[in-house]
Amino acid sequence: MLRYLLRRLLQAIPVIIGTTFLTFILLEVVPGDPIAMMMKEHIDPDVVERVRKEMHLDDPWPQRYVRYMAGVLRGDFGESYKTRRDVGELLANAFPATLALTASALLVAWGIGIPAGIIAATRPYSPSDHAMTVFALLGVSVPVFWLGLLFQLIFGWKLGWLPISGFKGVQYLIMPAIVLGASSAAVIARLTRSSLLEVMGSDYIRTARAKGLRNLIVLVRHALKNSLLPVVTVMAIQVAELLSGAVITESVFGIPGVGRVSVKAIQQRDFPLLMGSVIMAVVLVVVGNLIADISYAYLDPRIRYE
Amino acid sequence: MVNRASLPRLMAILAIVALLALGGCMPAAPGAPAAPAPVKAGVKTLTIAQDTDPGTADPQLTTEEYFLPLNLYDRLVEAVTTTPGKSELQPGLAEKWDVTPDGLKYTFHLRKGAKFHNGDILTADDVIFTFDRMLDPAIKALNTDFLDMIAGATARMDGKATSTSGLKKIDDNTVEITLAAPFAPFLANLATPAGSIFSKKYVEKIGKDFGIKPVGTGPFKLDSWTYNSELQLSAFDDYFRGRPKFDQLIMKIVPEAQTQALMFRKGELDAFDLDYARSQIPEFKKDAQWKDRIVSGPRVGTYYMSINSKIPPFDNPKVREAVMYAIDRQTLIDKLYYGTGIPAKGILAPGLAGYNPDLPGFKYDPEKAKALLKEAGFPNGIEMTLNQTVDSPSTLKMNEALQAMLAQVGIKAEIKQMDSAAWSGTRKEGKLGSYTSSWSADFNDPDNFIYTFFAPRNAVARSWNYENKAVQDQLEKARVMTDMQARYKLYQEIEKTIVYQDFAFVPLFHLEHLFVVHPKVKNFKVSWNGWSNMPYYGIEIVE
Repeated sequence: MLRYLLRRLLQAIPVIIGTTFLTFILLEVVPGDPIAMMMKEHIDPDVVERVRKEMHLDDPWPQRYVRYMAGVLRGDFGESYKTRRDVGELLANAFPATLALTASALLVAWGIGIPAGIIAATRPYSPSDHAMTVFALLGVSVPVFWLGLLFQLIFGWKLGWLPISGFKGVQYLIMPAIVLGASSAAVIARLTRSSLLEVMGSDYIRTARAKGLRNLIVLVRHALKNSLLPVVTVMAIQVAELLSGAVITESVFGIPGVGRVSVKAIQQRDFPLLMGSVIMAVVLVVVGNLIADISYAYLDPRIRYE
Repeated sequence: MVNRASLPRLMAILAIVALLALGGCMPAAPGAPAAPAPVKAGVKTLTIAQDTDPGTADPQLTTEEYFLPLNLYDRLVEAVTTTPGKSELQPGLAEKWDVTPDGLKYTFHLRKGAKFHNGDILTADDVIFTFDRMLDPAIKALNTDFLDMIAGATARMDGKATSTSGLKKIDDNTVEITLAAPFAPFLANLATPAGSIFSKKYVEKIGKDFGIKPVGTGPFKLDSWTYNSELQLSAFDDYFRGRPKFDQLIMKIVPEAQTQALMFRKGELDAFDLDYARSQIPEFKKDAQWKDRIVSGPRVGTYYMSINSKIPPFDNPKVREAVMYAIDRQTLIDKLYYGTGIPAKGILAPGLAGYNPDLPGFKYDPEKAKALLKEAGFPNGIEMTLNQTVDSPSTLKMNEALQAMLAQVGIKAEIKQMDSAAWSGTRKEGKLGSYTSSWSADFNDPDNFIYTFFAPRNAVARSWNYENKAVQDQLEKARVMTDMQARYKLYQEIEKTIVYQDFAFVPLFHLEHLFVVHPKVKNFKVSWNGWSNMPYYGIEIVE
């Protein structure tokens, strides 16, 4: 198991090199100049030229790539062009907000999604199943910014129950968690339902029933665990996705997370900051998938890793 | 190895992780200095918002994020707003100054005993250090053009000198600055945020972190900064002009305008910049609660449409002239900006030194525009592009209106949207087609508009590609003139040639800048230049 873990983590290295390299090349190819972007209307060609030189932006790209990656190996993720802040620090400071938002959104998503899926699956085509389908459809199709504004209008302003924007306590997370969690909940609910329905029709469930086990025991002990395999895969992807930043939710609710940092980095062509965000996202995806793979073994005893 | 009862356990672990993440992350606010202090009762606070985090407090490293510089630092000379749209140069950290008749040598007599937030006392060394730092290549400064007229600045920027020869300490309270050539707006330049003065001792000690942990002599000091979330400033008790009349200044970073508007209505913000949400102007104007709480001031700035003279058929002046008459400026102002502006007739804006109120302007005359196109050899009209960034719905509205007006005279304009970095990158190369934009004064002098736009390299970097050697030589001449009246006259001539003879600049309008403020905020004045970032020193809070 330990060897497996180690091997999987080592596999992440070529993934990181590959993605950073691709990001780097993409940034080379697309038009845009970070200094011109920073100066906006104050563009002064002499200043742009000088600062580009001072920041070594005119060096050949392989040289810049190698220099950057050498820095990364030493734990130095460089300095943001625009804010001149340390990239590692910027991302590390933004991460807690994203972690809190992710955790609370997933609490909503899974806390609602899995039970809803189970209820729908145990009573297929009943009113509660249809209600769940409608809820799922709404959850997936309502845009986050619209739902966010609606919540702000109702709960933030009209009723005044919750703060509209900011990040200073648990009460600030309630609206964003629900808004962000809603679409993930819908996906999880649909997936749980279909997967559970499939398992419920299989032979061993019939056997379990034939033994005279109660419905609840059949469901929880026998059916649910097996049916959760595909759900866990999606859950892992959701974790990684949300941890890489939910930029719209972060913007609407003024949460200082990594999503806003990395989107700004793209807009500004803030290369060190963008590379830092990419590396972070890659590590999160790799770790997320790893956790999913390990939990497979817990869910399905036939799966083993050597 | 697989535990039978693993599912409940897995769920439990996930729940615990989630709770830990919630509990663990919340109290510790991510970010710089200390944790924000809770707002205490009886503390007079002004809370405002802007959509982007300033990123750095160092005005040498940004050309636009001036909220912190205007409130944390002072300058040798200050541009003080007298009446709306008007400003006056007043003594700042320099009590008085002398200029030699040839306009080359400036001697500044510093205020004695002005204190920095950390207790350091201002001396000539601080001034020299600060200005030299801007020109130091190691700093990679963006605002060098406010100081590059100082003698020796070029050598310093090119790394050929380790200090700036034009900066000289006479004694602890006197600084002498020599220019490479006379530059009339030099004092006005020093009054911009780029002229902010830092403490030498402190900056040398703190190094790179100065942009995050700034110290100045200004009316407010920075207490905490949670990046992308909130900045807390408090009154500086020892401010040399006297302590501000309120205690705390909070800047919230709220990216969405709609969110800001709700926060304002709920009372979480004390002032709301209507530039962020122009569509809400009529709503606030109609609302009995707010209609008398709108504060408005002219923006010493001009909205314009650019023309790239290198892109055919705009190499033909007749075609450019046709565009001038094809635009119904008043309708744009009425429909898009709810009447809060006036049509522009030239480059310079009302309120700016040297503004010429007697320019004729271009009346909306589609027939004349059509005739001009025909004369130019395009009886069937022409095609062009209007270029903009993807993230600006207000620009899109404007471009759609222009598109419709241009279509009336046979100009088929295609709106091209691109990523903002691509837009600015293409523009820098001189290859961008037409676009609409605006410029507001950094300092009160025509040079800030006309040189910035039309000096040969600048005209390329803005994708105008304006070429007129006579005019561009005059631009250089006007820079070094010391007789102000003659200088303004020359600028007015230059302006006339560019707009009414070369038709190289399409003036659109001058707009008001509107804010809506809560009744507890007194003495809220729009800055003379109409910037969103302003000094908040003069404000009073009554609870």
